Amino acid sequence: MIRCIDVRKVYRQGKNEITALDGVSLDIARGEFAVIMGPSGSGKSTLLHLIGGLDRPTSGELLVDQRLVGQMADDQITLFRRTRIGFVFQFFNLLPTLTALENVILPFVLDGRSKQEAEQRATTLLDKVGLENRKDHLPEEMSGGEIQRIAVARALAFDPPILLADEPTGNLDSKTGESILSLLREINRGSGCTIVMVTHSQEAAGYGDRTIFFRDGKVEKENT
Amino acid sequence: MLRLLRTLSWRHVQRHRLRTLLTFLGITLGVGVIVAIAVVNRSLTGSFQSTIEQIAGKAVLQVSNGESGIIESAFPVIRDTAGVQDAAAAVEGFLPVRGAEKERLYVYGVDLLTDSAIRDHQFVGAKSDLDQALDFISMPDSIALTESFSRRLNLPLGTKITLTTSRGKQDYTVRALLREDGMAKVFGGNLALMDLPVAQQALGKEGKLDIVDLTVEEGEKIEAVRERLVQRLQGAAEAERPRKRGEQIELLLTSFRVGLFFVSLIALFVGFFLIYNTVSVSVVQRKREIGTLRCLGMKRGELLRLIVVEALILALIGSLAGSVFGWLLAQLALVAVGETVGNLFSLVDLGPGIFTLRELGLSLASGLAVAVLAALHPALEAIRVSPLENARQTAWSPSFRGKKSWATRLGLFCLVASPLIIFLPPPLPGPVQQFSVGVIGMLVFLLGLAFLCPLIINYGVRWFWHWALRLPGSSWVEARVASDSLRRNPVRSGITVATLVISLAAIFTIAAFVNSVRGSLLAWVDQMVTADLIVSSGARTAGPRNVPLKEDPLSGLKAVPGVKIVDLYRLIRSSYQGQPIVIESFSARESATVRTLPMASGDGARALGEMGEGKGVIISESFQSRFGKGANDTIELTTPSGRIAFRILAVYVDYSSDVGSVLIDRALYKQYWRDELVDAFDLWLDAGADQQAVIADIKEQYGEPYQLFISTHGELRKAVVHIMEQSFVVNYAVEIVAVVVAIFSVINTLLASILDRTREIGVLRAIGATQAQVRRIVVLEAGWMGVLGGVLGLFAGTVMSYHHVVYNTKVLTGWTFQFYYPYDVALLSVVASVILCVIAGYGPSKQAAATPIVAAIGYE
Repeated sequence: MIRCIDVRKVYRQGKNEITALDGVSLDIARGEFAVIMGPSGSGKSTLLHLIGGLDRPTSGELLVDQRLVGQMADDQITLFRRTRIGFVFQFFNLLPTLTALENVILPFVLDGRSKQEAEQRATTLLDKVGLENRKDHLPEEMSGGEIQRIAVARALAFDPPILLADEPTGNLDSKTGESILSLLREINRGSGCTIVMVTHSQEAAGYGDRTIFFRDGKVEKENT
Repeated sequence: MLRLLRTLSWRHVQRHRLRTLLTFLGITLGVGVIVAIAVVNRSLTGSFQSTIEQIAGKAVLQVSNGESGIIESAFPVIRDTAGVQDAAAAVEGFLPVRGAEKERLYVYGVDLLTDSAIRDHQFVGAKSDLDQALDFISMPDSIALTESFSRRLNLPLGTKITLTTSRGKQDYTVRALLREDGMAKVFGGNLALMDLPVAQQALGKEGKLDIVDLTVEEGEKIEAVRERLVQRLQGAAEAERPRKRGEQIELLLTSFRVGLFFVSLIALFVGFFLIYNTVSVSVVQRKREIGTLRCLGMKRGELLRLIVVEALILALIGSLAGSVFGWLLAQLALVAVGETVGNLFSLVDLGPGIFTLRELGLSLASGLAVAVLAALHPALEAIRVSPLENARQTAWSPSFRGKKSWATRLGLFCLVASPLIIFLPPPLPGPVQQFSVGVIGMLVFLLGLAFLCPLIINYGVRWFWHWALRLPGSSWVEARVASDSLRRNPVRSGITVATLVISLAAIFTIAAFVNSVRGSLLAWVDQMVTADLIVSSGARTAGPRNVPLKEDPLSGLKAVPGVKIVDLYRLIRSSYQGQPIVIESFSARESATVRTLPMASGDGARALGEMGEGKGVIISESFQSRFGKGANDTIELTTPSGRIAFRILAVYVDYSSDVGSVLIDRALYKQYWRDELVDAFDLWLDAGADQQAVIADIKEQYGEPYQLFISTHGELRKAVVHIMEQSFVVNYAVEIVAVVVAIFSVINTLLASILDRTREIGVLRAIGATQAQVRRIVVLEAGWMGVLGGVLGLFAGTVMSYHHVVYNTKVLTGWTFQFYYPYDVALLSVVASVILCVIAGYGPSKQAAATPIVAAIGYE
């Protein structure tokens, strides 16, 4: 599903060059729940951004769902991201002025779908994450766990084959974190959605099928 | 503080050059307008004074009677008054130069043999002034020009110059050249000296004098001599010091100058909002920096000072640049103002505007005061937030507590106070003071609306996105996010909308005022000027540029086939109770059957009939309002025949002058004023007469010698509208400044709004929003500000313009104008507001769309 061949990512900061990814090669199979771990600055989030098409690799090949994401035009990669990738962030990143339902229907309306169709699908998704009764609430009226569930529902809008989660439990207490991880596991098992999750937590890593350790921009080791 | 400024503020400025530049330009423009208007106003004030003083020479007293003149026989009475040492009589007037379009000579006729006691005329190359004078006087076509004029028009000694005089064209021979010194410097050297009788003939003032300049004997008190003169003249003329005469002429311009001053206030008002906006944005941009500084131990007071001093430095540089810009703007404005003053009041020698320490002080005071006032609130808001919150929050903005906020309370207070100020003003002495209170009332109303903008945005914008869905190419999310971002920061959005409201209200008020003046003026011209043709010389309308003619062409005009009635119109400047007024005259008896008079009160036909019978005069509503006189009252006017009492028959509408007019029958006028000059011949034609044939006939007989303007009714209307519109040129310039500053404000707000929402934009892009969709969101946000600003501005403008046209103008000028609502401008201003905002939003929208997603998501 995801194939990285000698992927490098170099950032320029003034006159300095910072190598975030230094020739990473790895494969993540369809339906796999892969967990990426590593110390801060090891390049794990950078890899996630590259897979999601939020950034471009400096060199190397990156195939996601059989597409070379590094070579796609901005509009192409945007559409790809919209329909084929789901994102869950550490800081939830819901739009604060929109209700739960409105946040979930965002990807649909960005895609030009009718509001009825979008609402129907969003209601199903909210039901799936157990928050159908909170659909008219604003983010500020909900708990962290609830907000992250809404973010998961939004990420699943187009039933994407890939879900990318960047420290999804980093801002939650352990009990709430567990429920989110269970939800992700459920999604992975239920729909066969490939999940790539970045985390610092060993407990969280336990929910994945495979754990890939990063250090200094390279794959250090893998545990299955 | 200096170190903080150098390390923190300076680097912030360097990183945000565009925004700093926008603010700098905003302050420069605002201060520039204020300085320009101050320079123009001062130049206007000074020019009349200096011209009169230069012409007056050594004279310490002047006997004059406006354009009514003094009977020449009064000269010995004046000269022989005890205490008078030297007396020099003169006539003056402007005459067009043939063959040199737009050139007018200020003709000054004096007795050269006696005038040297008062003025020092220096003739170029003369053996002695007396020899030169004798040669000059001995030939009746002599004229002396200044060296510069002679050089510019290539008129050396011995050449002929042709002038359009009250008797038609006359040739004169250049027999002397004046060194440009003293009096010869006035009107940029466009001065011609003639012998008194020659000038009297050229100006149609035979047997009359305009002015007698006097010196007093040593040891005599000037005031004592003046009192003696007043007694001896018995109201036939007035004796004043030259400075006092200058002040009286300046009084003519009061309304014009007051209008200009208040226009400059608009620029200051708009500038205030721009600085407020900028400082708010700057605080938003540096919230983390401020938080860090507070964490590191910076005191609230230190932070407050830092923010205010930053604003002050920017304002100081902007004000200095504004001073230079203002001076340059003044040079352009002086040309336009000189033209207007020349058309409406008096030809004036407006020199280049002088920039003094006073103007510098004004620019610095206005710029710095506005900066401190504008920066104080955002600075206070910034220091109120705790260090922790400052460092944590993803988006900080000035707090807004809806209905309970201070802005809302202040807004409501202003809206309540405004009508109280306007309708229950304190008792004030003069029209300028009353007008000022009216303007303050309007500004308070505008301020009230501005303060309420955040509340209006808070409650109003939520409905916008429903409407936005109907816009072509706009989707639900774009409309919703754009509306929400406005509502999230109602204070900041409110400031921008308020800037738009103020700019638009000012523009609309001026536009509606011009429209109402134009409408009322044209309706008045239609009623007042019923003649089919108006024949005049020098200019199309009676006024300072017009050359009064003798009655000579009258019989010829009456004899032109197709002409039914010819009436003679005359307009002169005079004075009443020491204040300038205008005397108008025509023959009511001659034109009773064809003339109508727009009346403010009373029966026009009956009043005209009684005026024709010499039973009294009709006064204008400006006169009524300035002097508190009405029908059946009696007024005493200073005429060359002495002080004469006239009964007021009625009050009519007259827009020819706001100082107040008295309309008198020509027969009576000629009897008391001993003036046979005519400013315009009004012609009514026979039914079915060929107008073009009549015009051709008149042109053939009189056109060339008299340099006639033969205007049809339509042409006169056009000329009147042209003069009126020209007088608003400076106002239009301020409108442009207001629009530019408002656009800067919109760009500023959007840049800040984008900064606030960096992460949100990143998320939108991450979940699939295209760059075009992000661009549309920002542009839509700008568009909403345009809609709100446009609609509220139009509302404010409508209220303000109605008040300005119907009440305030009446207070200042005594004129009653009909309110003509400019529907086209109303529509255009809302549409333009939206379009300009959308254009202003395009740049920030591109910046938003180009936000790197990864950096944006990580943005805190």
